[in-house]
Amino acid sequence: MNRLGFIIGGLLLVLLLASSTLFIVDQRQVAVVYEFGQIKEVIQEPGLKFKLPPPFQNVGFLDRRIQTLDSPETRPIFTAEKKSLVIDWLVKWRVTDPRQFIRNNGVDIRNLEARLSPIVHAAFNEEVTKRTVGGVLSTQRDKVMQDVRARLADDAKSFGIEILDVRIKRVDFVANITESIYSRMASERKQVANQLRATGGAEGEKIRADADRQREVIVAEAYRDAQKLKGEGDAKASAIFAESFGRDPQFAQFYRSLDAYRASFRNKGDLIVIDPSGSEFFKALRGSGLQPAAPAARK
Amino acid sequence: MTLPPSFAAEAAPARPWAALASAARALLAGAWARLPGRRGRDNGAAMAQNGGGGRDGPPDLDELWRDFNKKLTGLFGGKGGPPRRGNGGDPEGGPNFQPSMRSAGVGAALIAGVILLVWLGSGIFVVQEGQQAVVTQFGRYSHTADAGLKWRFPYPFQANETVSVTQLRSKEVGRNAVTQATGLKDSSMLTEDENIIDIRFTVQYRLTDARAFLFENREPEEAVTLAAESAVREIVGKSKIDSVLYEQRDAIASDLVRSIQEQLDRLKTGIVIVNVNVQSVQPPEQVQAAFEDTLKAGQDGDRLKKEGLAYASAEIPKAQGTAARLRQEAEGYKSRIVSEAEGDSERFARQLAEYQKAPQVTRDRLYINAMRDVYSSVTKVMIDSRNGASLLNLPLDRLLQQAAAGPAPSGPAAAPATVEATPASSGTVDVRSREAQRGRDREGR
Repeated sequence: MNRLGFIIGGLLLVLLLASSTLFIVDQRQVAVVYEFGQIKEVIQEPGLKFKLPPPFQNVGFLDRRIQTLDSPETRPIFTAEKKSLVIDWLVKWRVTDPRQFIRNNGVDIRNLEARLSPIVHAAFNEEVTKRTVGGVLSTQRDKVMQDVRARLADDAKSFGIEILDVRIKRVDFVANITESIYSRMASERKQVANQLRATGGAEGEKIRADADRQREVIVAEAYRDAQKLKGEGDAKASAIFAESFGRDPQFAQFYRSLDAYRASFRNKGDLIVIDPSGSEFFKALRGSGLQPAAPAARK
Repeated sequence: MTLPPSFAAEAAPARPWAALASAARALLAGAWARLPGRRGRDNGAAMAQNGGGGRDGPPDLDELWRDFNKKLTGLFGGKGGPPRRGNGGDPEGGPNFQPSMRSAGVGAALIAGVILLVWLGSGIFVVQEGQQAVVTQFGRYSHTADAGLKWRFPYPFQANETVSVTQLRSKEVGRNAVTQATGLKDSSMLTEDENIIDIRFTVQYRLTDARAFLFENREPEEAVTLAAESAVREIVGKSKIDSVLYEQRDAIASDLVRSIQEQLDRLKTGIVIVNVNVQSVQPPEQVQAAFEDTLKAGQDGDRLKKEGLAYASAEIPKAQGTAARLRQEAEGYKSRIVSEAEGDSERFARQLAEYQKAPQVTRDRLYINAMRDVYSSVTKVMIDSRNGASLLNLPLDRLLQQAAAGPAPSGPAAAPATVEATPASSGTVDVRSREAQRGRDREGR
């Protein structure tokens, strides 16, 4: 043809050659170069790479990032005390050995997940069956995760992957147990409520009783003091009287008697039946009193 | 923008190569545009018109084709003319082809230069504030660019991906969806004491490392949700329900931050957890009434206690008051009794002094005085015992009644009634009401 045609043709050829021999390996990927269907080389380093053109060599890519495998189904697992738990887990994994991975599994990552999840479930089954609910739930949670991870190590190696993390996501009882948990929770709360009320009532009563006791004590002590004071008063009064009356007991008696009479008979309601004959007072009334003593006394 | 030296060396020879490639591409396009025209000439004018319509491609390609035609004229001879012109456009087309090969070359270079510039310009990109761009060279991580106007080598050498770094992102954890196998809501979980509790929270996070975020994990943001779900259940699974609900409520958020961060760091996600907002921690709806009743019970208990305290604080001061009263009264009694005793004894002492001077007279006088006082105020019945006093039948109760009626029936009206009351007896009944009145008169004086 001509010069330009050669140039163009040459360029086209170069392009064709370049597109069939050069390839880009992304940071997120590893490349596998096949030679007649056989794995020839695994390229871990990202960048622009070279291979032979198609009939001789082909290239395939695998995701090298960390993948997440979430538990696809929730089949209950029995614990040591024969309670069935539903355990949700997740596994973080990554392709480490692409050769092994492809040989075992092909290039499809989903395919591997479909094969891995029953294995993980079985591993959980083994570990959970040995333990109680409390163990799985709290005390040995980390241990369960570690042990499952250890169990998966061999399988992972044969798959050409690395298990980075195994986590228990949820641990729950199956639906029919859940109902009984609710009723138990309700009755527990009721018990707590009753206890709170009773405790409050008891404390209130205690405080009342204590108040009553204090009141009694206070009043009684006051009574005691009062009686003591009164007694002191009485004693002092008695002493005074004794001192004063003691100078002439006979007269004192007479004098006090008269006072007492006055104090005793002072109401109109008091009725005295008198026999004037025996009374000194009526001596004059009877006419036998000659002495003018009575009128003289009346002043 | 700094480039690694190796890259610069690599890029320099690549540039002319790329220019050549684009020129070739342009040529190819021109050749394609020519094809229908050629067919049109072979099959007739109608088709040529049709073909002409199909030639309405980009003008610069046509131009390019024409330039190349000019160069090829010598080789192809008369036949080398473009079909368009060959079909009757020759008279005008001929002179157009006259310009020299040199000017055509200049034009081609100009066009190639513009294309090169446009191509280089496609490497310019803008990184907004708060974003970072990760530049990859043939898929391999090259560097991370911060905010500003940046340039990278154009396709196919370098590419960039921009991600928001400082912007806060958030994920909500704990939804209402019910899981079939457990009959529990997404937000429900078991506590250590095998109770069920609902927790909802949001996780706020941002990126620290754009490179790790892009290249290490397949779904880094999903990883946040999964880590959060796993973390919250682990924390709650290790706590008792009361501590989750009441005591440790505030600690949960910080525990969550720590646990989620730990998991994410292990996966090198390039994400940092900024905050966890616990929106609600509550018992499931099925048992909420019982929980509320417990709260109420706490208050009831408190109330009962308070009532007790109220009683105590009312009762004790009252008792203290009573006690004080008792003491004061006693004090008063004591003073009174002593004073009375003193007074009485003083009075007695004075009397005694007089009495000792004239015992008999004083004694009689005192006696009579006292008797007078007594008899003057009381109701009295006099009986002469010498006249068969044993037969006396006094209506004592009636007399008492009368006396109790007060001093009203005094005077002559009362006297007969009293006398009539004792007709059966032969004794003398002397009702001393008159004298009583006299006594009162005397007292009145």
